[in-house]
Amino acid sequence: MSLQQKYAKILSEILPAGLVGASLLLGSVVPSSANQRPQSAQPLASDGDAVAQRLAAVRAAVSAVGDPAGTAAKPGDGNLRLAWGNWNNWGGWGWGRPWGGWGWPNWNNWRNWNNWNNWWRNW
Amino acid sequence: MPRIELLVIQPTPFCNIDCRYCYLPDRNSKAVVAPTTLFNLFSQVFASGWLQDCLSVVWHAGEPMVVPISFYRDAFRMIDREKPDDLAITHSFQTNGTLIDDAWCDFFAGEHVNVGVSIDGPKLLHDRNRLTRSGRGTFDRTIAGIRLLRRHKVPFHVISVLSAASMAAAREMFDFYTEEGIERVCFNVEESEGDHVSECFAEGGIEAAYYRFLSEFWRLSAAAPGKIEFIREIEHAVQQVIRPKDASFNNQLVEPFAITSMDWAGNISTFSPELLGLKNAEYGDFLLGNINRDALVDMPRRANFAKMLADIEAGVALCRERCEYFSVCGGGEPVNKLAENGTFVSTETTYCRLTKMQATDLVLDALERVTPGAPNQNTPAAARIETPILAQDRRVRWE
Repeated sequence: MSLQQKYAKILSEILPAGLVGASLLLGSVVPSSANQRPQSAQPLASDGDAVAQRLAAVRAAVSAVGDPAGTAAKPGDGNLRLAWGNWNNWGGWGWGRPWGGWGWPNWNNWRNWNNWNNWWRNW
Repeated sequence: MPRIELLVIQPTPFCNIDCRYCYLPDRNSKAVVAPTTLFNLFSQVFASGWLQDCLSVVWHAGEPMVVPISFYRDAFRMIDREKPDDLAITHSFQTNGTLIDDAWCDFFAGEHVNVGVSIDGPKLLHDRNRLTRSGRGTFDRTIAGIRLLRRHKVPFHVISVLSAASMAAAREMFDFYTEEGIERVCFNVEESEGDHVSECFAEGGIEAAYYRFLSEFWRLSAAAPGKIEFIREIEHAVQQVIRPKDASFNNQLVEPFAITSMDWAGNISTFSPELLGLKNAEYGDFLLGNINRDALVDMPRRANFAKMLADIEAGVALCRERCEYFSVCGGGEPVNKLAENGTFVSTETTYCRLTKMQATDLVLDALERVTPGAPNQNTPAAARIETPILAQDRRVRWE
């Protein structure tokens, strides 16, 4: 299985949850501090791949999973997409918006706190 | 054409406290920006053609709350009068929180000001560095301010500067935030900037310590949904790693005037806001002009701007060529390159190894620990259920 196919399989489970759900999910699989990288003796599956290669594969997988009509590779189980309740047009992920690297988080505390659906779009 | 996204305004260089790691050179000066200077800034910004549909204004680089509320009320009204009708402006304060009282809370609520409070964790950690001029800790006053914000239902986030000690205390930090009802957190690492040389950066194993801290804090937050809503470093990294291949990305810090900074006297700078007020043999004072004497739209033609831009772009090009993490970073922070490497024309810094590389590694590693279809894992279905619950819970608490 290629790196992109592997990520596509993983992302097909993560993306439907939106950014908040994905953060929860990913945070839940992080090992406790007693056994963490970089000290961990257990290498991860993709340790042999360069970071840039891994990042490119993740993005290709995101595009493929979100573009079933496209020509890019996508996960084998097309039915997975039917379960993506709140994932429409990349909703909730805030992609396509610039964000700054400076210390200030570019959210608007007030405008969005009562509008959860738009929370992550306002970077 | 430049595009201004963020205006950082120094209402005063003065700060009522004296943190050990502060890089601001004039924090004893009690000068205050003049109303005419603010008018000149905003009238020129609005007329520049450099804006899109929204503009963030951060009042910072000194303690903004040592200036009276009436100053801001007048300034906000002037800005409202002068701004184009279709421009949305959001005002933000970054404060040490020690001067928050009922009147300030009413002001924040009335004006919908975004509030960021600087607090470095529990008292023992906070009071190591965030001191009064007489050397006493400021924790008690800061936490009193945060409690007032909560009582007045003013949304806020905190920015905590991490030291080696706090990086070793993820659980204590997490417990502190959750006990105080702090739901949105941002972590800055104590950096080398200006004349300040980071003690943190000098410690061996700091990168591993940062990775461990961030992952442990993330794990604890995920295990207690609804307590910590937002961890900036995690959410930024997740968004930057998990995005479509054609999604746009820009690094404001290397885009001319995307961040435009003005000091109390009307001096203008761009790129990293921390450059304003610093001096350097090669670039002088980093100033592009003064808004009271010079035209903003002419500033890109200044010779020192051309020199800074050329060097910053050369540094970005090196990052693009050499760094595996360029796609999540966009070329780093100019002020850190200068402080750590002595030149903008450089690449890796300890700052970027921590804030970009470790956070990216953490997200990539977490991705690869997800086992598709695993029954005992926090499944997407579970996440979908938790998300609306969180939203509902949040609405209840804030309404």
